[in-house]
Amino acid sequence: MSHTIQTTRDDYLIAGFAALAITIHIAESALPSPLPGIKPGLANVVTLVVLCRYGWQMAAWVSLLRVLVGSILIGTFLSPTFFLSAAGAFASISVLGLLFALSRTLPGWAVGPMGYGVAAALAHMSGQFWVAYVVFVPHSGLLTLYPLLMTLAAVLGIVSGLLTRIVLARLNNTPSGKRLSDSR
Amino acid sequence: MNGVKLSRGDTVVWLLAATLLIGLYTVFWQADGHGAEAVVLVNGKRWARLDLFHNQDLKVPGPLGHSRIQVRDGQVRFVDSPCPHKLCVHTGWLSQGGEVAICLPNKVSLQILGNDPRFDAINF
Repeated sequence: MSHTIQTTRDDYLIAGFAALAITIHIAESALPSPLPGIKPGLANVVTLVVLCRYGWQMAAWVSLLRVLVGSILIGTFLSPTFFLSAAGAFASISVLGLLFALSRTLPGWAVGPMGYGVAAALAHMSGQFWVAYVVFVPHSGLLTLYPLLMTLAAVLGIVSGLLTRIVLARLNNTPSGKRLSDSR
Repeated sequence: MNGVKLSRGDTVVWLLAATLLIGLYTVFWQADGHGAEAVVLVNGKRWARLDLFHNQDLKVPGPLGHSRIQVRDGQVRFVDSPCPHKLCVHTGWLSQGGEVAICLPNKVSLQILGNDPRFDAINF
């Protein structure tokens, strides 16, 4: 039974970027964290770069593959960490999708890396926070932490936005150069 | 890459994010743990229910004499009690839902009511 799956250029790009994101994700998981749930989110830079260069669909693939494969490699698959991470990724990719669609329909108000970075970080934090609160620790004391975590997320989102901009500027030979015009 | 240059869309996203953060602080950081009412029990029976924002001084009769209770600006405490160790007085001001001060010898106890009690149980 011979069956060939036709692979496209996009498939290779998704695989390549996902591999990159997974590598960063794993390297990052080795870093000590001051608070549970706080991570620099460097792997998210890859998602943002893919979003700005190739669009939302590929970014979603890269993000979800990263969470899935990353957790399998680290050994947290189906553990609480995995569900938190997956909830964050879902929330973040949904918000990015919304902003991306809005940017398409209103090009004058297009969102760039800086906006995407902050929005993705806040959505990611919210997603994982509410899963943590509703599923794992339904204690009202946790809510006190929420504004603080969101503030940290916003700051880290700005950082990942800046990094995304730098990476985009370096990736000069881009097929969809229009999206990069503001970051040159 | 000189400076942080934001597009119009970015500015909108940042403004929304800032509004969201301010909203979160006002919603989650208001002092909602404060109880607004307290109960005084004498010999295990409810003797009075106090509004913590109605400042007053009470004399509560117990088996040993009168325990004096003071309510000030959302807080309440034992000022004096005819007991040997004054543990109730040393408990100090109570303001959080679920907090208690008890004078065992005089059988007077004071507890803050709250929809979100800070303590499930307290033992000494």
